[in-house]
Amino acid sequence: MGIWILIPIFLPVVAGVLLLLSSAKADHSSDSEGAAVPEKTAKSAEGLVRLHCITAVVLVVSAVLALLAAWSGDNSYTWFELMEGIPIYFQIDDVGRLFVTVFSIAWVLVCFYSFTYMKHEGKEQRFFGFYLIVYGVLVALCFSGNLVTLYLFYELMTLTSMPMVLHSGTRESIMAALKYLFYSMCGAYLGLFAIFFLYRYCDTLTFTAGGTLNLALAEGHTGILLAAVMAALIGFGAKAGMFPLHAWLPTAHPVAPAPASAVLSGIIAKAGVLAIIRVVFYTVGADFIRGTWVQTAWMSLALLTVFMGSMLAFREKVFKKRLAYSTVSQVSYILFGLSVLSPTAMEGALLHVVFHAFIKCALFLTAGIFICCAGLSNVDQLEGIGKKMPKTLWCFTFASLALIGIPPTSGFISKWYLAQGALEAEVGAYSWAGPAVLLLSALLTAGYLLPIVTNGFFPKKKEQGENVQKEGASAHGAAITAHAAGNASAAQAADGSSAAAAAEAPLGMLIPLAVFAALAVLLGVFPNPLIRFVSKIAAAVL
Amino acid sequence: MELVQNFPFLTIILALFSGPLCSILKSKAAKWVNTIVIALILVMSVAVLIFTIQTGEAYVYQMGHFSAPWGNEIRVGILEAFMAVFFCVVMLLCMLGGRRELAEEVEETKQNLYYVMVGLLLSSLLALIYTNDLFTAYVFVEINTISACGLIMIRQNGRAIEAATRYMIMSLLGSGLLLMGICYLYDLTGHLLMSNIKEQVALLQQSGEYHIPLLIAITLMSVGLAIKSALFPFHSWVPDAYGYSTLSSAAILSSLVSKGYIFLVIKIFYRVIGFDVIRESKVINVLFVFGVLGMIFGSVNAIRESNIRRMIAWSSVAQIGYIYMGFGLGTTAGMIASLFHILSHAATKSMLFISASGLTDVSSHDTDFFGLTGSGYRNKIAGVAFTAGSLSMVGIPLFSGFISKVLFASAAYDTSGKLIPAMIALALSTLLNAIYFMKTVIRIYTPPHRAGIETDTRTITVREQPQKTVVLVLFIALNLVLGLGSQPIVNLLTKGLEMFG
Repeated sequence: MGIWILIPIFLPVVAGVLLLLSSAKADHSSDSEGAAVPEKTAKSAEGLVRLHCITAVVLVVSAVLALLAAWSGDNSYTWFELMEGIPIYFQIDDVGRLFVTVFSIAWVLVCFYSFTYMKHEGKEQRFFGFYLIVYGVLVALCFSGNLVTLYLFYELMTLTSMPMVLHSGTRESIMAALKYLFYSMCGAYLGLFAIFFLYRYCDTLTFTAGGTLNLALAEGHTGILLAAVMAALIGFGAKAGMFPLHAWLPTAHPVAPAPASAVLSGIIAKAGVLAIIRVVFYTVGADFIRGTWVQTAWMSLALLTVFMGSMLAFREKVFKKRLAYSTVSQVSYILFGLSVLSPTAMEGALLHVVFHAFIKCALFLTAGIFICCAGLSNVDQLEGIGKKMPKTLWCFTFASLALIGIPPTSGFISKWYLAQGALEAEVGAYSWAGPAVLLLSALLTAGYLLPIVTNGFFPKKKEQGENVQKEGASAHGAAITAHAAGNASAAQAADGSSAAAAAEAPLGMLIPLAVFAALAVLLGVFPNPLIRFVSKIAAAVL
Repeated sequence: MELVQNFPFLTIILALFSGPLCSILKSKAAKWVNTIVIALILVMSVAVLIFTIQTGEAYVYQMGHFSAPWGNEIRVGILEAFMAVFFCVVMLLCMLGGRRELAEEVEETKQNLYYVMVGLLLSSLLALIYTNDLFTAYVFVEINTISACGLIMIRQNGRAIEAATRYMIMSLLGSGLLLMGICYLYDLTGHLLMSNIKEQVALLQQSGEYHIPLLIAITLMSVGLAIKSALFPFHSWVPDAYGYSTLSSAAILSSLVSKGYIFLVIKIFYRVIGFDVIRESKVINVLFVFGVLGMIFGSVNAIRESNIRRMIAWSSVAQIGYIYMGFGLGTTAGMIASLFHILSHAATKSMLFISASGLTDVSSHDTDFFGLTGSGYRNKIAGVAFTAGSLSMVGIPLFSGFISKVLFASAAYDTSGKLIPAMIALALSTLLNAIYFMKTVIRIYTPPHRAGIETDTRTITVREQPQKTVVLVLFIALNLVLGLGSQPIVNLLTKGLEMFG
């Protein structure tokens, strides 16, 4: 029965590899023609539809299978033994269930969005090939049953998600991809270092709620073990954008295509959180680090990152970079919630995992729409955008409100639990400093998101609004919008006069965005089933 | 005595005499004779391996019915047989993979000579693996050096000759030191057969006599072989020798020749001196320091290198550093890790050389880093193999490199005081590996027109190079076998090492 776990892992990986293999040839022929944005002949348009169908079917089928595997009860499967006593082992538990569900929903929605968006970037086959592979790897990551399996798929995730960053192939994007790779690998090796020590001192590396640390063995080696745990926190924190290894996020996001940024921020950053949860709560055990310098350092780093990320986001003018800094800050909310080691805070952290994934996807998809349909990547250019793309901006508004944490949106619930948990926990000054920083950061969040909304709907000066209009229309973006919508007359209009404003985004992009925004709000209105589920997880490990 | 027990001796002789035979044949015939001989030796070595696994103990084979302490001996256990099998496999793949380059780069009249050299090299490697006599080992070390020089300079361009000269000088320095060490040891013990020397050394150690001469002998032999196997800081000949010789030579030199010497080091440690004496002598601490430094400096230099062949060569310096670091840990676990790394490095490095040459083929033979832009698309199998090799070097699970790193780390754990430096060195070197290998992988998969670089547009399909494709696929498979099925191999190595001493 357990072997069913392998299917949702391998189906997308195999399909992705096949897509890549068949794309290498097609891509090369277009390379030699030297066409950056290829003029689509009827034949290649047909091919594109086929590609979209294949990707959609494979992804939806594997997502359904993954969810079925996840929710059909506890299951485990040993694939093979990598070394003696180190099997590649999959096991489904509640944390895995939570993460795989969030990942799958977001991954499928972003995929549908990309079908339209990626026409603007080209090289779709390669993108979707890697997109599918990464999904398989992520499912495997969620289902990993021990630390070594987790590490294996963590590394694979880094490697397979990297091509999405360097998609455009420009010098900038290559440097960004290298930076991403460097930070991730640096982090992963710190994690490996810890895994190695834990292998020595734990009864088993198989994830067990409450940890498997053998206290008798660890006696007298506490110092080095704590250092190892700290190394794991910093290392896996690299993916989650925790200071000091956070710098890849603001570099990688602006150059990656918007859907890739969305999943990097919304999903892959959460993989770092998952790894940290697995190390701290399922291998080491929370009690081992409670009250030690590791906990203090972890809390400090998380709070520092929360504050620093918000400040940097506040100052940043490039839209996607601003969102990237926002991710740095928001994912550290989650890490702070985990670091205080109290059940309520952990519930808040897990809730924030879910909410932030959906919210951040929504925000990045909005940024993608502005870039692709209007050619605007800077926040100052967005003045008056609400007149032209009201629906998009409304979705953005709801997602922003949710991120700031205004009731009754989802962000409010998670932040409430985070603050409550911090206040309950016996962590000295941090129990009030934590909520204070969270509050301050929420203010900053409002400060960097809401002006976009207000300026978007109510431009300050009229001429400025017109300016933007002109810019938007003359930019190649407008032509591409029209192209994406398959609307020949609009394309003519865009070429002809500046009067034709950037129109509302095509439905293929708008619907996923609306679903994300709706999820961001609705999960806050009806949070109870989710809260019950995460409190079960928190109760098991703390 | 069973027929199989004669095989080790026969393989040495077969390889040795295939050389002269190749020199009188036509070059095409010589090529086939060479291939068949290597394959035959491979089969015979497999038979020996199976025999030793079945009997579960090492056996001594007397040459010419002179009994010890006067006669010459061969001693065969699981470890020796396994190494012989592995070396033959890698050698066969290297020769097949570099065949086209050999035909293009080497003069028609010199090609026979190349097969002579390969025959001699293989026989000397096998002799180094099997022999139980220290002086025989020295003789074959020299044969090895001379044939390796031939392999480097056969290409006969300026750089290759210069590289061969440098190699010759360094290598002879190493041989000289080794010879002096052997002389000292002969003076001290009065024996040349390894097992006899060990008995005498144990007596000397008990009585406490000649402590310093013994130490000098150990040092001379270790340093001599370290120079020959390119341990940092004696590595200066490596980048040229691997970078400018013909493809098969580079692959064989990096993955086999240096490993032959390293195997001799292990033999001296375990069978000639005894590992306890070595551990007390503190020589291993020196090796540890050099190994760790080599791991770092090799990688740093590789990052600064823009010629892909030389970059891979620098990476070899780092990997040799790993092996010596494993020796330096001074535990059996460390030795096992080093042995595994010998296998892992041999399988990976030759694959990297062959795939890199496939990539330069489609880049107007430009070995410069930027010239390789997009070459992964133009020669797909080479791109895939290079990526697989890089991942293995970086230490991604599923590939062999990961296993050797885990083995090194867990071996370091049981030592006192070497844990932290070893761990830091491993982490740093892995990170540095990741920088230069992943940089190259990204480069070969960057579409040239997007990066604004003019490159060769020639493509090589799988169908145009069936031989190389098969070789590369086999190399990838070998890597995966080492990475996924490591446990039986490690068990075999452990068992082999037990009966080795």
